[in-house]
Amino acid sequence: MSALIEASDLTKKYGAHVALDRANFSVQAGRIVGLIGPNGAGKTTALRAILGLTAYEGQLKVLGREPFRERTKLMDDACFIADVAVLPAWLKVNDAIDFVAGVHPRFRRDRAAALLAKTQITGERRMRELSKGMKTQVHLALTMAVDAKLLVLDEPTLGLDILARRAFYDALVNDYMDDTRTILITTHQVEEIENLLTDVLFIEKGRIVLDSSLEEIATRYAAVAVAADKSEAARAERPFYERRMLGKIVLYYEHPNLEKLAELGEVHTPSISDLFVAKLSGGAQ
Amino acid sequence: MNTTVWLVRREFWENRAIWLIPAVIGALLVLASLFGKVNLNLPAPLPAHAFGQLFMVTVAGTFFAVMSIYATWYLLDCLYADRRDRSVLFWKSLPISDTTTVLSKLGTALIVIPLVYFAAADATTLLMAFIVSVRGGSTIGAGVWHLDLWVQLQVLWMYLIVTTAIWYLPLAGYLLIVSAWAKRAVMLWSILPPLALLIAERWFVGTHMVARLLWERMVGWVPLAFHVNPGDGLWVTTVVDNDTIRTPQSLWSFLNVTGFFSSPETWLGAAAGAALIIGAIQLRLRRTEI
Repeated sequence: MSALIEASDLTKKYGAHVALDRANFSVQAGRIVGLIGPNGAGKTTALRAILGLTAYEGQLKVLGREPFRERTKLMDDACFIADVAVLPAWLKVNDAIDFVAGVHPRFRRDRAAALLAKTQITGERRMRELSKGMKTQVHLALTMAVDAKLLVLDEPTLGLDILARRAFYDALVNDYMDDTRTILITTHQVEEIENLLTDVLFIEKGRIVLDSSLEEIATRYAAVAVAADKSEAARAERPFYERRMLGKIVLYYEHPNLEKLAELGEVHTPSISDLFVAKLSGGAQ
Repeated sequence: MNTTVWLVRREFWENRAIWLIPAVIGALLVLASLFGKVNLNLPAPLPAHAFGQLFMVTVAGTFFAVMSIYATWYLLDCLYADRRDRSVLFWKSLPISDTTTVLSKLGTALIVIPLVYFAAADATTLLMAFIVSVRGGSTIGAGVWHLDLWVQLQVLWMYLIVTTAIWYLPLAGYLLIVSAWAKRAVMLWSILPPLALLIAERWFVGTHMVARLLWERMVGWVPLAFHVNPGDGLWVTTVVDNDTIRTPQSLWSFLNVTGFFSSPETWLGAAAGAALIIGAIQLRLRRTEI
């Protein structure tokens, strides 16, 4: 299977600040990939590079194209929602549909109309009259109506209330995702997308510290919760991170000896958010 | 081509002032002709023909002056506005190149907006001529209803649009660069660099080449594109009450077509304008944040 996105030594500097530091990763077709990292880790910069919004150093191919040089052609097959509420305030919903239908060869008007029909939004309203959640619904309808191979979402639910966030992800999974599509998504709220992801990329200080499918994570990482008296035995197995929780100690292991761990306590696969915290605060070594 | 049409349509959605301002000016002028004084007592009564010319050029000039100010503001604001409301992130998610986008805005400012004002000026002139000739009687009526005068007016407008579009290309390119680059206060940023250059030259070198160059570009179009004083054969002399009045035979007498299009200043400026526009496109490619 050929990679949809292939980055090697991807680097972006803003003056003295290095936002991306020789990042290497790839995204396969048909996956839902979460790009996860703390603030300022380079998430947005990576997405901007992938979408051709910024120049960069190093190698980067998206759908076989160089994004910055070929953004226009790339946007035939890729679409994105970068941040919430970027639809201009003066734009009417119907005009937005007409416009995208007029300029985008792969836009399906009937699909946008069907998606909007499920909402409370009427076509004559301007974006400035809509709530943040409604604007997101319009943008998502416009984006999902494009027959794109790659959809990139950068903090698509920032500032939305919990109902709007849930509706957003439900629409994404139920109405959009199929095996011809690939989604790359960043968000602060990892817990919310945890069960729709197939792959994760952890990014820290401009470098990719983990590039893995969820299946790989399940075989490669394990966590065990042990009572305090067994902590020394558990530490002998060389965890890379531990934390105290309700009188117990949870220890995280890479390439664990599962039999040994099972003797010490209850073994489980760490959740993405736990693994993220463990990886980033326990040190990636 | 289709994309360009949508992009221009989009400019009309975003900037309703493109047609609102000329509509308001037209409405005001029509109102003035409805309720204003029409039995003009000119000190030396002009020949009817000359009155018609004066009337048409005054209306056209009013629209043209406002249009120039608006188009300048539009160019300064258009790319900045996309970054200010972050909608640039939406526009760039569509398969439209930045070159097409920037050129659509340039074309809107230099061709589309002038055409809108042209149409508004024509409609206003027609309505006013009709009202004034009904209210003012045959003297005025005789002045404004000349087919040749109307044809001349159309040609004059087209000439204005084409020559200003070429002559002010460097100014347009510069404004687009400021619009694509500035983080705030586009107006200030458009004035500061040339002003700083001008003052620096005056202080450190003692000359004022920059000021001369800028002034040339601002007003140089007039003496180049027009005969300020057409040749003797092009005037009509009328004697009214012992006063000799010279009026131009035709509005075309003033147009210096060969002078404008053969001047190196015209084409050097256009080349500089093209370079600045390429610069603006490069900035649009790279700058998405405010």
